[in-house]
Amino acid sequence: MANLKAFTMPKWGIEMAEGTIAEWAVGANEPFKRGAVLALVETDKITNEIEAEADGRFVRILAEAGGTYPVGALLAVLSDGEASDAEIDALIAGFRPADTSFTGEVATTPAPAASAAKPAAPAIPADTKISPVARAEAQAAGIDVAAIAGSGRGGRITAQDIAQATRPQTTPAPAGPYPTTPESDAYASPLARRLAHLNGIALSGVTGTGRKGRIGKADVLALIKPVAEAAPPRVEATPAPAPAVSAPAAASAAPPPAGDHVDVMPMSSMRRTIARRLTESKQTIPHFYVRRRIRADRLLGVRAAVTGQKPSVNDYLVRACALALMEVPQANIQVHGNEIHRFGQADIAIAVATERGLVTPIVKAADRLSVFDISRQMAELAQRARSNRLRGEEISGGSFSLSNLGGFGVEQFDAIINPPQGAILAVGAARPEPIDDDGAIRIVPVLHVSLSCDHRAIDGADGARFMQALAQLIEDPRLLD
Amino acid sequence: MAVMNIREAINRTLYEEMERDPSIIVLGEDVVGGAGTAGGQEAIGGIWGTTGGLFAKFGGDRVIDTPISESAIVGAAAGAALAGLRPVAELMFADFIGVSLDQLWNQMAKFRYMFGGKTKCPAVVRLIYGAGMNAAAQHSQSVYALLTAMPGLKVVLPTTPADAKGMLSEALHGDDPVMFFEHKALYGVKGEVPDGPFRQRFGEARMVREGGDVTMVTCGRMVGFCEKAADKLAADGIGTDLIDLRTTSPLDEEAILDSVEQTGRIVIVDESPPRCSVAADIAAIVAEKAFTSLKAPPRMITGQHSPIPFARELERAWLPSPQKIEDAARHVLAFR
Repeated sequence: MANLKAFTMPKWGIEMAEGTIAEWAVGANEPFKRGAVLALVETDKITNEIEAEADGRFVRILAEAGGTYPVGALLAVLSDGEASDAEIDALIAGFRPADTSFTGEVATTPAPAASAAKPAAPAIPADTKISPVARAEAQAAGIDVAAIAGSGRGGRITAQDIAQATRPQTTPAPAGPYPTTPESDAYASPLARRLAHLNGIALSGVTGTGRKGRIGKADVLALIKPVAEAAPPRVEATPAPAPAVSAPAAASAAPPPAGDHVDVMPMSSMRRTIARRLTESKQTIPHFYVRRRIRADRLLGVRAAVTGQKPSVNDYLVRACALALMEVPQANIQVHGNEIHRFGQADIAIAVATERGLVTPIVKAADRLSVFDISRQMAELAQRARSNRLRGEEISGGSFSLSNLGGFGVEQFDAIINPPQGAILAVGAARPEPIDDDGAIRIVPVLHVSLSCDHRAIDGADGARFMQALAQLIEDPRLLD
Repeated sequence: MAVMNIREAINRTLYEEMERDPSIIVLGEDVVGGAGTAGGQEAIGGIWGTTGGLFAKFGGDRVIDTPISESAIVGAAAGAALAGLRPVAELMFADFIGVSLDQLWNQMAKFRYMFGGKTKCPAVVRLIYGAGMNAAAQHSQSVYALLTAMPGLKVVLPTTPADAKGMLSEALHGDDPVMFFEHKALYGVKGEVPDGPFRQRFGEARMVREGGDVTMVTCGRMVGFCEKAADKLAADGIGTDLIDLRTTSPLDEEAILDSVEQTGRIVIVDESPPRCSVAADIAAIVAEKAFTSLKAPPRMITGQHSPIPFARELERAWLPSPQKIEDAARHVLAFR
């Protein structure tokens, strides 16, 4: 009999309540291998691939691409072999979503699959020796725990036992003993001997970098490298006239690194998400840029006069952007397909660089906050961003982004729009430059700002008006109070 | 409920249990205490003050000063227990367990098993242990791992006055040898203690706090260190499941696994050196039985694999600290 398994909406992070099937990568009854990408799931913040945990195929796909489903909802039924319709129907009927213990706002759209759920799983007697998590998972998976021999003390069933019972059985394919080099005089690790043998490298006379000259894997790899370079160059496809359509595709087509000092690192899922979203943004959104110089001497003067904890220049800019967006609501938007969503408040995403990559926490309703409130919120958001503790609602949404590289001495740059937002402001450092001050030449700190706009929704005049409003606010900072 | 410290809780429990059960005797170095001092024979009640007043009440037949010989103390306790008494032997410093190991692990721990259950050995050995008092390498060790590894012994480490009473009383009602570890730095810890008969079963960990983001498992003085670390983490919105094992043998495996299955991240804190320690044992159990729940490798914060230094600064560096524990928790939380 085939081993059927429910394929459900995963839960990535404590705040994830629902996800959207961006795409099914595998069709019904199409066999796939372990590790193959099965589907792309999008949340408010990220898009991730779901990989196959084992070989198998979908015997029934229940969720539609583009549909949004709560965490734990039944999306499809997996099998490692032939399965009758009756068996599949029985699993679907008996399916109950796992208790994800999410107490926040849960999606209101019920999953079509979940609505069909009926309590058919055999009830677990209260006196069964089983951990709470194991009990919940067993109930969710609808399995009978009576047949499970627990691995905990006294046969108590653990979550691991349930995981083993619900996953398809795998048979390791032993490759047999590896040939190793018979050299007995070489002081080398078994792995190093194997690598040396496989690559035809003699280890006698080699001194390794390990303790007491022991030859390790790295030593053998160092010996292999020159050989690889001497080998005939890999045949490269003639460069395609068009660029690769997506970053992941481009990455997979990349040649192996040629140099000795190239570290190859797979992209983290966060990096992949940044890559995918920004590629999509730059390729599908018609960007145009409005640039402007703004004298910042008075703003810096106001800031210098603050006693105690001073807000950063960026905090003032958040406030200025918020008020400018109120003046020019055409720029305070999100673009969704053929709709423009105009916001009644300024939710401004701030680009924060972290070790893991770019994150954009959001100051909500910045138009209603004083610069001091913004400063406090930003300090907390940035700290949480760096310690990877931002909550989902703190990074989702937003109608406008602000990216400030002034701290690095950058004079000017252009930013890529963070979809579905309509615009992003790129801010450089305030540098002393001559300006025309009522006919006199004065040298004062000047900011260079560049607004990237989505031309599908924002016209040049709207962008220019926003910049005009922004310049007025910065040049006369009393307006920021 | 009365508020008292651990020293007082142990003293009162001994007093109450000796009143209840005339077969209970107390023996050890200076447990009577004051011989040769101006205050008279019963003036002191042991250098730790845990046996004060017992001699005056119960007399020299039941409260016995011994020579300085741990072999004799533990051996006499084993024999007395076989003969039908309930001895409470005190080792002033647990470090000197070495000379009484045969009495412990070949005799006390095995009598009931080797005589087919026809005899029993209800001895309690009180072992005063722990570092942090600038007492150097031979008077600072946490040797509970050694006795935890010995089948046939129960190993108990109270961290609150209530647990001290409840678990000492439990030991004095049971039929098996109990190794009762008292941390010298915890004697002054105050807390509420239930009045009247009160027993705390062995093998039930204490859930000091529940948080759900990261699990901390510890025992003895490190419980307080973990609480400090958990407070710091809580300030950043990180919730800690803090488990005080209370007894390392029997071990409350379920409490640990239940928590790790939910958090997927565990920091194990142990005052003893890392090799073959209680921490290593728990890490192994978690790796074996909760492998699929782990989101990060288990992290151990322990003493160092070296004798405990005498210099205060070095001793502090040798020991786990709230900061090290907090850093470890952040490390397992950041693990990807």
